[in-house]
Amino acid sequence: MKYLLTFFLLLASLPAQNKTENVKTFSLKNGMQIIVLEDHSIPNVAMYLFYKVGSRNEYPGITGISHFFEHMMFNGAKKYGPKQFDVTMEANGGANNAYTSNDVTVYSNWFPRSALELIFDLEADRIAHLNFDDKMIESERGVILSERSTSLENSNEAFLIQEVLAAAFNAHPYNWPVIGWESDIKNWTKQDLQNYFKTYYAPNNCVVVITGDVSLDEVKKLSKKYFEPIPKGNTPRKVHTVEPEQLGEKRLLVKKEVSTPHVIAVYHTPEASSPDYYALSLLSSILSSGNTSRLYSRLVDENQLATEVWTDYGQYFDPFVFMIYSICNENVTTEQIEEAIYDEINKIATEGISENELQKVKNQKLMEFYHTMETINGKANQIGTYQLFFGDYKKLYDAPADYQRVTIDDIKNVAKKYFQKSNRTVGILKAEGEVK
Amino acid sequence: MRIVRDTFILCILLTAISFAGKFKLPVFDKVILDNGLTVYLMEQHEVPLIYLSALIPCGAIQDGAKNGLAFLTSESLLYGTENYSKKQIEETFEFYGANISTSAYSEFIKLNASFAKQDQEKLLPILQDIILNPTFPDDEVQKRKQRLLVELDQAKESPRQVIRSYFNKFLFADNEFGNPVLGLKNTVSDISSGDLEHFYQSFFKPANSAIALVGDFNSSEMKKIITELFQSWKTEEDEISSSILIPTLDFNKSRVLLVNKNDAKETTFLIGGKGVSRDNPDFTEIQVINTILGDRFTSWLNEELRINSGLTYGARSAFMPFKNLGTFFISTFTGTQNTERAIDLALQVLNRLHTTGITDKVLKSAKNYIKGQFPPDYETAGALADLLTSMKFYGFDERYINNFEDTVDKLTVTKANEIVKKYFPKDNLQFAIIGKASEIRNIVKKYGDVTEKEILEDGF
Repeated sequence: MKYLLTFFLLLASLPAQNKTENVKTFSLKNGMQIIVLEDHSIPNVAMYLFYKVGSRNEYPGITGISHFFEHMMFNGAKKYGPKQFDVTMEANGGANNAYTSNDVTVYSNWFPRSALELIFDLEADRIAHLNFDDKMIESERGVILSERSTSLENSNEAFLIQEVLAAAFNAHPYNWPVIGWESDIKNWTKQDLQNYFKTYYAPNNCVVVITGDVSLDEVKKLSKKYFEPIPKGNTPRKVHTVEPEQLGEKRLLVKKEVSTPHVIAVYHTPEASSPDYYALSLLSSILSSGNTSRLYSRLVDENQLATEVWTDYGQYFDPFVFMIYSICNENVTTEQIEEAIYDEINKIATEGISENELQKVKNQKLMEFYHTMETINGKANQIGTYQLFFGDYKKLYDAPADYQRVTIDDIKNVAKKYFQKSNRTVGILKAEGEVK
Repeated sequence: MRIVRDTFILCILLTAISFAGKFKLPVFDKVILDNGLTVYLMEQHEVPLIYLSALIPCGAIQDGAKNGLAFLTSESLLYGTENYSKKQIEETFEFYGANISTSAYSEFIKLNASFAKQDQEKLLPILQDIILNPTFPDDEVQKRKQRLLVELDQAKESPRQVIRSYFNKFLFADNEFGNPVLGLKNTVSDISSGDLEHFYQSFFKPANSAIALVGDFNSSEMKKIITELFQSWKTEEDEISSSILIPTLDFNKSRVLLVNKNDAKETTFLIGGKGVSRDNPDFTEIQVINTILGDRFTSWLNEELRINSGLTYGARSAFMPFKNLGTFFISTFTGTQNTERAIDLALQVLNRLHTTGITDKVLKSAKNYIKGQFPPDYETAGALADLLTSMKFYGFDERYINNFEDTVDKLTVTKANEIVKKYFPKDNLQFAIIGKASEIRNIVKKYGDVTEKEILEDGF
């Protein structure tokens, strides 16, 4: 029990701005939720706006439109016309970015505290009065095609993952890539964008997180002034599609010029709010976090079978997949890689893991938590992520303890339950010459 | 993501910390040990973590004929020491959730670590042994070397990963600053663990090295611990004096390096030439101007190539400073069919900087932007530790941080336009272009004398 003890000591020493009770939240009359964490360590502020819309809310014909919309939010509203959102923000010391995932679209602003009211004004303008300029739509379409193309040009991983997800999901919209299919990008219309805006960009579908050099009172005042007058929208339609159980292994082969083959195996796994989340997340660390992890030590270090191996179990609204990805070393076949991966998982499912191994990954999770807490940006992003994916930002602060509760049996059980051959989709990427 | 932000950012930290108006670097101690090692200590108590950053002033420019030597030496530091095996090092760091990594650059090697403050007694002695007593075990070095040879081929599948190596080699030719940090297959094959040992013995000296600790500790206690650990680092007279020439980078004609990648659907390119050294007295002002040209979303390059024309996902410009010289480049990518439009547009923007110049309005905006984005760069203990060791290497001090806002505020339009003329390349530009040569060969020859290479050939 030595580590449990020091673990609590560590938590006790956290300064005020890193404790859950310092996070304050309130809701506006239109249903918009605001979460505030005062942190005066630097004279800057991070503001994140989380919209509950992503490629999961799309349908064939408009795939990628959530991401396209993310771009369009920067292209002009009523008070601040085309280009003026960025021009005004940067001229006042602020910077911004945004990301779209399968589940959410997130806008982030980083600025000196002097720009706080202006940022509220800019955001309110585009949430209430986004405008769709024909010329901007066409230029942005080109940008998105370039974004898609440069990702595929520079990342074989992106390409293979796209292909394997399309095979792993039959029914659920996790089937298509967040960036969308090229022909959809080329063909969506202004009307599609207007519908999307009306449906998903309502204040009641948005959570705002503000961290940094602000006071709760001023945030309340500015939220009421700028955000509260924006009318509430209808509740968006629920995504009701459930991916049917997979009843047998699926395999696919993709041809691309690579110097050594790539292999990916994905298993259907549950959503972030599942009780199995923490055990699966720790299992991912056991498999691939660090040089002593199971897969890195066996595939890359000891046997030189691969130049790279990683696993990923992320946060999703609906059941997604657990990914295992590896790139072959020279003269190694994907069969050898697959065999080693399945053998390691099988060992965990039958023999479990050691106490030491479990404590190691729990310690790593605690350290990750501290690294998140080092910046106002990390805090804003994670507070919002936990609010959306776990239903409560407090779960962020509980995460180290939630990980701490996972047992060896829990790890063994999730390995047994989800890592079945029939639940697996395998993708291989090889150069033309190597494909028989 | 909306814009590719991290691919092209400067490898050194540019700015710092102020409070209530002016951003100031937090108080720190600087101690020089008897063996000449510079130690920095800065307390930061926001989270119970400690960061260590060590800088040893040797890198790829000291590779000699064996390109990749500094890189493999840096990687192999973690493969075993007199008192700890590779396995022990990895198991101990990973068990405590601590991070340790090494990285090699042209001019130095860095070792960075972070750990919980309660684990310092277990980890600091290992860190000491890694820096003072690495053993470079042959079996581990051979394994890493074999993977590196394969990785060198894999890297060429991504133009973005390798274009800077091509550009540097094209600019510096046989000068040491053209050495690709990861090496070539041809040279890496020749490196032995004995070579690493020799490189280490030749260049790992305390006198010009620096170690910074930033985090949740008491400075005077930490000073004792670090002194105890590192005063035994032996100090010998340098037997090798530096014979590396500093190239002038004054080109008398435009030149194009065209790298053929048969399956390319995009053209990826850099356009540039001579830049500035890190100790340039106008370094801060140059950053302000570069913000306008290509270092923010509404920069002129991004506005023309992305926002107005939709030719690319992102276009940037950057100064890459070394200690005594530097390079500058514009970077972007576009679909093969748009190659000419994109290159022409990039050149027009650079030309506009020289002909139309900087106006009061855009200068004011850039000043606000660079000041507003400055404090987050130094928000973490890790960033501060990195800054401190960089200060030692490049020879600047906290005034750079503490005067940053004043320096930015004082920049006038007249001075800004003088800086454009003085430091931003205009003529005799150097182009590195990766793409499908059969489709762009006839286009790129209009930009200068063309040299062609195949991406599948070894090296750059």
